[in-house]
Amino acid sequence: MQPTPYVVRRHTVSSKIAIVVAILLLLAIPTMPFWASSGHIRLVVELSCLIAIAQMWNLLAGYGGMVSVGQQAFIGAGGYSLFALSAFAGLNPFWSVPLAMILPALLAAPSYLLLRKLDGPYFAIGTWVLAETFRLITGNLDVLNAGSGMTLRAMSQFSAHQREVGLTILCSLLLLATIGGTFLMLRSRLGLALTAMRDDAVSAASQGVNVGRMRFWIFVVAAMGTGLAGAVYYMAQLRISPGSGFDPYWSSICIFIVMVGGIGRLEGPIIGALIYFFATRLFGEYGATYLIVLGILTLIVALFAPGGLWSLLSKVRDWPWFPVGHRLERRAEAP
Amino acid sequence: MKWVDAVVQGLLLGSLYAQYAIGMSLMFGVMRIVNIAHGDLVVLLALIGISIAAVLGLGPGFIVLLLVPIGAAVGWILQRGILNWAVGEDPLPSLIATFGLSLALQNFMLTVWQADTRSLDAGALTTRSVELMGIHVGVLPLLIAVVAVVLTWSLHMALKTTKFGRALRAAAADSVAATISGVNTKAIYAQATAIAVAVLGIAAVFQATRTTVSPSDGGAQLIYAFEAVIIGGMGSIWGAFVGGLILGVAQVVGSRIDPGWGILIGHLVFLLVLAWRPQGLLSRR
Repeated sequence: MQPTPYVVRRHTVSSKIAIVVAILLLLAIPTMPFWASSGHIRLVVELSCLIAIAQMWNLLAGYGGMVSVGQQAFIGAGGYSLFALSAFAGLNPFWSVPLAMILPALLAAPSYLLLRKLDGPYFAIGTWVLAETFRLITGNLDVLNAGSGMTLRAMSQFSAHQREVGLTILCSLLLLATIGGTFLMLRSRLGLALTAMRDDAVSAASQGVNVGRMRFWIFVVAAMGTGLAGAVYYMAQLRISPGSGFDPYWSSICIFIVMVGGIGRLEGPIIGALIYFFATRLFGEYGATYLIVLGILTLIVALFAPGGLWSLLSKVRDWPWFPVGHRLERRAEAP
Repeated sequence: MKWVDAVVQGLLLGSLYAQYAIGMSLMFGVMRIVNIAHGDLVVLLALIGISIAAVLGLGPGFIVLLLVPIGAAVGWILQRGILNWAVGEDPLPSLIATFGLSLALQNFMLTVWQADTRSLDAGALTTRSVELMGIHVGVLPLLIAVVAVVLTWSLHMALKTTKFGRALRAAAADSVAATISGVNTKAIYAQATAIAVAVLGIAAVFQATRTTVSPSDGGAQLIYAFEAVIIGGMGSIWGAFVGGLILGVAQVVGSRIDPGWGILIGHLVFLLVLAWRPQGLLSRR
């Protein structure tokens, strides 16, 4: 019997290189305190948090079909969890970071059950109302020092070097959890359902995907990832206030990064985060004018290039980094 | 008496929210679109009005006459230039596009008008009040309430009785079928958005005379309009009006309990309605 001339593959040369590079980078980040300057470490921490937050928004909007303009709700909740756990429970702040995912999950579950009643675009504004509600409640809680915010005093027991080692390890784990976790999930059976939902929620439902339950879990998981990133970010800042933790600008960042990078693809948020990060370093000094350009760019991408940069790049060269699908290739001729 | 007063003041505040909300309800009803820059447009129109008033020395009455056509033009351009590209089943493009617009508009206003809070001087009108059954009611808030009722009623009647209203309802029910029957849906959409933003022109003058405006206020106005629409019931103009009033009462009563709680109580009332009656209070479903 003649073997078929085709073969199904997941990995490509580009994806093998990308995954090796990604693993090397994840291993390299925790070594930074031994060779890099504190300034560079701060930048890497910030970039990691941006990538993580954007990847979670991508999971939510790109795969779950739920546009949120209120992810700051979970950034603030994660950040405040860390500060409260170390201030009131006396826990080691580094161990409190993973625990900071609990509160966002507990808030996200009932939030989703309320918001799912809202139709399409109204869901988005509903998430914003929730974030504002959390901000106002936090601002009225004297135990959390109300509007003036909290300081992470527990960090003073560590030397600057110890803090950097802890933070960089947390950053690597954060990226591993958000990118690696999403990657593995998308390659599983669950991922097939998610990809079907991304392409068309109605036909996914007709194929037996329980769209409602999937959305619930996506909302909760995205909140946990976002909360984790919020905890890492505010651990580096050492200070949090309701105005910063629950700042709607966080949503602007998510939306810009994912839309410009490429929604519904794992690579998109990474590219988008790099663009946002370097653009802010280069043009941030122009303040309002820079933000006007960001806003207009988001608008143009949404209307005319909904797949973002990644989809434009894929048209030129299809070199995936994180393959989640299968591809059909012609088998190499036997010599 | 203190609480009766709070309710009355809340109704008056709520009638301003109703003016933001009817435009949003109209746009969602027709196109299933939410314009995230809705609140920023209120602020933009108010700031334009304040600048015109300062340059030409005009009173608020004339400013309204100018802002309504300006608002209509802005709405028409917004629909033709941006939103008509994004109307469709998927809510993502219109949401993200208007989100980008909102970010750009806020920062544009910040560049032009700086971060100062400004207001429109309406002379004696701002301070005059009448006494109704022992409660002092400002003449300006009363005027706002009357205008809100008139606007809601006229929009309701226009949708119900005019040719434009029929075309609009047809486009809302099924845009393809409406097109086959000879309705130019894109033009209808542009007219609907023009009306929605023209109403914001009126609301902007009231907002600027009643309190103050600053470039970053838009988000809050968007949220109040949205809450009003959901509390009252989606797709109903009178629902948006009633929702605005309820939100206003919740905020004023809340702030009388504790000054830091006004807006929070408003959000909580919204969430309660969402939990118990998600189709809205006025919906017949």
